[in-house]
Amino acid sequence: MAEEALEKSGVTLREAGPLDAVGDVLPSYVALPESVEEISALLRACAEADLAAVPVGGGTKLDWGAPPERCDVLIDTCCMNQIIEHAAGDLVVRAQAGVTLEALADRLATQGQELVYDGPFRADATVGGLLAAGTAGPRSFRYGTPRDLLIGITVVLADGTIAKSGGKVVKNVAGYDLGKLFTGSFGTLGVIAEATFRLHPLAAERAWVQTRLTPAQVQDAAVRLAAAQAEPTAVELDWPDPSGPVTLAALVEGAAATRRAQTLLDEVTSSMPGWWGEAGEGESLAEVRCMPDRVGGVLAALEGTGLALRGSPVSGRFFLRGDGAGFVPVVAGLREAGARVSVLASPYLMDRWGEVSALPLMRRVKERFDPGRRMSPGRFVGGI
Amino acid sequence: MDPKLIKDCVHCGFCLPTCPTYVLWGEEMDSPRGRIHLMKQHTDGTPVTPEMAGHFDACLGCMACVTACPSGVKYDRLIEQTRAEVERVHVRDPQERAVRGLVFSLFPYPRRLRLLRPGIGLAERMAPFLERVHPSLGAMAALAPRVTRRQRLPRRVRARGPRRAVVGMLTGCVQGEFFPQVNAATARVLALEGCEVVIPPGQGCCGALSVHSGHEDQARRFARRTIRTFERAGVTTVVVNAAGCGSSMKEYGELLAGQPEWAARARAIRTVDLAEWLAELGPAATRHPLPLTIAYHDACHLAHAQGIRAQPRALLSAIPGLSVREVPDSAICCGSAGTYNIFQPEAARDLGDRKAKSVASTGAEVLVSANPGCTMQIASAMGRAGGSIRVAHTAEVLDASLRGVPL
Amino acid sequence: MTPLAEFITALHGVASGEGEVITDPVRLRTYECDGLTYHRATPGVVVLAESATQIAAIVKLCNRYGVPFVARGSGTGLSGGALPRTDGVLIVTSKMRRVLEIDLPNRRAVVEPGVTNLAITEAVREQGYYYAPDPSSQQICSIGGNVAENSGGAHCLKYGFTVNHVEACEIVTPDGDIVVLDRMDPGYDLLGAFVGSEGTLGVATKVTVRLSRTPEAVTTVLAAFASIEQGGQAVSAIIGAGIVPAAIEMMDALSIEAAEAAVACAYPEGAGAVLIVELDGPAEAVERQFAQLTEICAQAFELRVAADPAERAAIWKGRKSAFAAVGRISPAYIVQDGVVPRTSLPSVLASIDRLSAEYGIKVANVFHAGDGNLHPLVLFDDAEPGAGERAETVSGKILDLCIENGGSITGEHGVGVDKSRYMPRMFSDDDLDTMQLVRCAFDPRNLSNPGKVFPTPRLCGEVPGVRKGVHPLVESGKAEQF
Repeated sequence: MAEEALEKSGVTLREAGPLDAVGDVLPSYVALPESVEEISALLRACAEADLAAVPVGGGTKLDWGAPPERCDVLIDTCCMNQIIEHAAGDLVVRAQAGVTLEALADRLATQGQELVYDGPFRADATVGGLLAAGTAGPRSFRYGTPRDLLIGITVVLADGTIAKSGGKVVKNVAGYDLGKLFTGSFGTLGVIAEATFRLHPLAAERAWVQTRLTPAQVQDAAVRLAAAQAEPTAVELDWPDPSGPVTLAALVEGAAATRRAQTLLDEVTSSMPGWWGEAGEGESLAEVRCMPDRVGGVLAALEGTGLALRGSPVSGRFFLRGDGAGFVPVVAGLREAGARVSVLASPYLMDRWGEVSALPLMRRVKERFDPGRRMSPGRFVGGI
Repeated sequence: MDPKLIKDCVHCGFCLPTCPTYVLWGEEMDSPRGRIHLMKQHTDGTPVTPEMAGHFDACLGCMACVTACPSGVKYDRLIEQTRAEVERVHVRDPQERAVRGLVFSLFPYPRRLRLLRPGIGLAERMAPFLERVHPSLGAMAALAPRVTRRQRLPRRVRARGPRRAVVGMLTGCVQGEFFPQVNAATARVLALEGCEVVIPPGQGCCGALSVHSGHEDQARRFARRTIRTFERAGVTTVVVNAAGCGSSMKEYGELLAGQPEWAARARAIRTVDLAEWLAELGPAATRHPLPLTIAYHDACHLAHAQGIRAQPRALLSAIPGLSVREVPDSAICCGSAGTYNIFQPEAARDLGDRKAKSVASTGAEVLVSANPGCTMQIASAMGRAGGSIRVAHTAEVLDASLRGVPL
Repeated sequence: MTPLAEFITALHGVASGEGEVITDPVRLRTYECDGLTYHRATPGVVVLAESATQIAAIVKLCNRYGVPFVARGSGTGLSGGALPRTDGVLIVTSKMRRVLEIDLPNRRAVVEPGVTNLAITEAVREQGYYYAPDPSSQQICSIGGNVAENSGGAHCLKYGFTVNHVEACEIVTPDGDIVVLDRMDPGYDLLGAFVGSEGTLGVATKVTVRLSRTPEAVTTVLAAFASIEQGGQAVSAIIGAGIVPAAIEMMDALSIEAAEAAVACAYPEGAGAVLIVELDGPAEAVERQFAQLTEICAQAFELRVAADPAERAAIWKGRKSAFAAVGRISPAYIVQDGVVPRTSLPSVLASIDRLSAEYGIKVANVFHAGDGNLHPLVLFDDAEPGAGERAETVSGKILDLCIENGGSITGEHGVGVDKSRYMPRMFSDDDLDTMQLVRCAFDPRNLSNPGKVFPTPRLCGEVPGVRKGVHPLVESGKAEQF
């Protein structure tokens, strides 16, 4: 019956293989919709046959989030790869969910513009995946996260309803902002089909500066950089080995970037540090959030753990990664030290999300959007 | 109340943060926008209720809202018309009536006022009793300042050096009785700057207190008398050193609009504030250094009603060695507002306390203002908070600098 | 007793302080409208709230008696978002105006909802910080209202809107629970959904805002052009050159006339349009951009650069008072708030001109040119029979123009009660139904600012996406379809 319903939807299907597993859950089918309407038809079919679906873009973060309770259909957006409109004069781009960030960046660069994102998987991730996972890069310190750059979205709900909010103008307060709600929702509310972003002109000049500090020096240095009137676009740290020194780097963009950068730290370079914005490798990966004045405490809690930390001490957002079961008590320790920790990927059993104060409201949102629990069930906070 | 003037208000709310009572209470009906709304309710047929009258009475008439209003609403005219209407149609409770009666039979009359002066009058001795009977009466007594001795001013003060102008000078009732040294300083400064100063004796009240409280008939009577006095003195320019008096004298034309002949006579005499006049005249006398840090307080009737902000600051800043500090939230009234601290003692006290804190934050040694009511109010609030500050009128500071004596 | 009367009796149990509960009809009426006076309704009762726990208690009572509630800050909104309910309670936050915490190392301030937008900046200015969103009414509009409306302002071109500067909110949910929505928390971005929801998802009772560092240099330029077209070309050229100014504002001849009458802003005489461009950032970067800007504005017949903060304020004064200033040149007017893609500005302005001629209604244009946010001021004389209707028609047609050009019916004033009827022109039924899912999750009983934003009420028990015909409430005459 399931197959029949899916086939009736007219969407291209293929049998799933081991590489299509979401966590350790293997779907039965992979669907390859080519339009918003096809996603809608597919989800109506899923509703009819009560099939659970998980959307996927580049698959770069498919191991992020808890494994789904069930997954019958993997919705691969790779065929939705059209950049629908690049209105350069308006600094706006509208793209289908499956467009990769690299393809998008290439296209925008021809007009001297960019979508500001320099976080993990900035080449292979897709527009939809970027939004669904809600990742942020170093430059979010000045430009905001993708959530702040998103100005319009088209989504398809579990019952096939196609809905949009926002539009293609930067300034717009008509109606609720569904884009914000779907950003970082890990596919649990519906499928992101199209997105419209505000763009920025590519900086004519950029310079990085870096220095090495002891962990105890980092917080004060970061607070100083954050307030500097040379206006760094990003301030990042890399601490590959928590028994060694911390590399602190800042990026300055725009007119007189090099001279402005010199006022911040000693070692100026025009090339991006190799580790910049990447999540890094490791068996377990977590996102750590804290206030900038708690960074010292976070670093202290990690000293000697053998885990690696990378991220922004000025935004208070880091990736923590490493191998072994030692990850579990470190996460608990960080939470005790006042940090919020979301375990994105790990083979070890633990509380992935920590305490979420508004969870009852979130459950109610989930219930309204996906009463049948067919969209990536169980992937997100509180088993939503 | 003129419905046309009411209609000018577009309800944008820009007046709210400048309104002292809104700052205190955060209530719509105690904001200019809310009061205009109440006026509209009344012109639409709602009778003046005690609640409505209460909100009108609570207005200090500081006119900060007039400055803030982008739509040019003539709130000053509106509130004056409203107060007159309230006096006409609203019956106040007996106790309130008694206090109001006392004030309006006392303040505008210099000779009666003299009774209040400490040392002579009964005010000081009676203060605790008055406070118990009615807070307003207590407030009135508490406000009476100490005066060293009366200073009689000559009828004419000759200009020092070449005569640059002939001006009349208003002595004012409160100024004249409680702050005679300010009048003396004013006359000296004018003379030193080359003005011949004519000071007609027996000047009465200019009518400011009455017009600000809705007693328009009394106000018109006083206005006509003041005009006549200066006409007889043969001057066409009258210098005023009290902000409240200056602002109402500038509006004589409108107050007397119903009597065209008087309105014309009013317009024939030009009223100027002392600072306005001196700035216009330009300096002639030498300024001697005064090594002082002062805080300049904008009296509402100078800053808002007459739009005079830059001139006193410029005059003071031009004194060598003198440093002028700005008072935070300078546009908000200190709560003195003529008779306000008598009729609304609690609100006046709260506003005084706020202003005292702002003034204290400047760290200035002397508080300078162009209105005696303000300085009295702020100094007493600073006293309540356990601090103190010397107070002076702009004229006194200039006088000290021009004569080369310490303030 | 009516539910409202019972509610008012019960209210005295949770709001007993002096002057907290307003029931006097004369006083109540002063709360009948916000900054948009076109819509009026005398509230059933007003509470001047003092704390979150008190608001939570009031909202719980609302739930018990089925009484709707509307939150109001300073009452300066321009879409009737705080229009009271005659059968409900108006919760006013103007007494909740304490700045609770200033935390400079973390660049945050925690404030109560009644704190004015400008008061935040004033509290941190001396330390070299400010709060970036700057609606024109910033000296009086409250931060709670800003959160409800997702307020913008002239400087949001570079710095974004309220939603980009709010880090956390304590809210009272429509159930009467106190919940904290924090950007740092994992889970759905409910904060992002709450900001800009116009009071329909609850009441903000504490707001944590991000503070920005005062830029090293600010250059404010006033460029006067002979015509709107020339001004528009300059705007395109600025953006095309890769400059992101802090603000680009444009005013046409009619709005300049009004501002001149109101605040004597002394803009260059004979200008068909003035452009206010503000550059900020590191001094060297600003200098270089200024040089580029001077070249771009070669067509301007006068280029005035503010030499000090006072001159900067003088340039801005004309712009910021423009709305209310129009009261000086017209007995009545409607402020519109449409948005078009910036590149469509010239054609849309030309169409507005045609509309203006066709209906014999003058339109003054003030706009945030950098982001295509138009504020046409539709002028009319309310004493002239039919003029109001014609102005209303012109105003509606301007919104149609915005929608046709791929824009929005509101850039920053919100939908409120005023524009809810235009929502179906911009969004499909499915779009609106999907938004309603959020509403139903937060407010299943439809008590929080009902009647705003959405054109038709929908019962939260209904299955979404199925209804396509006439709403049963409309059919039975219990609700009205706009």
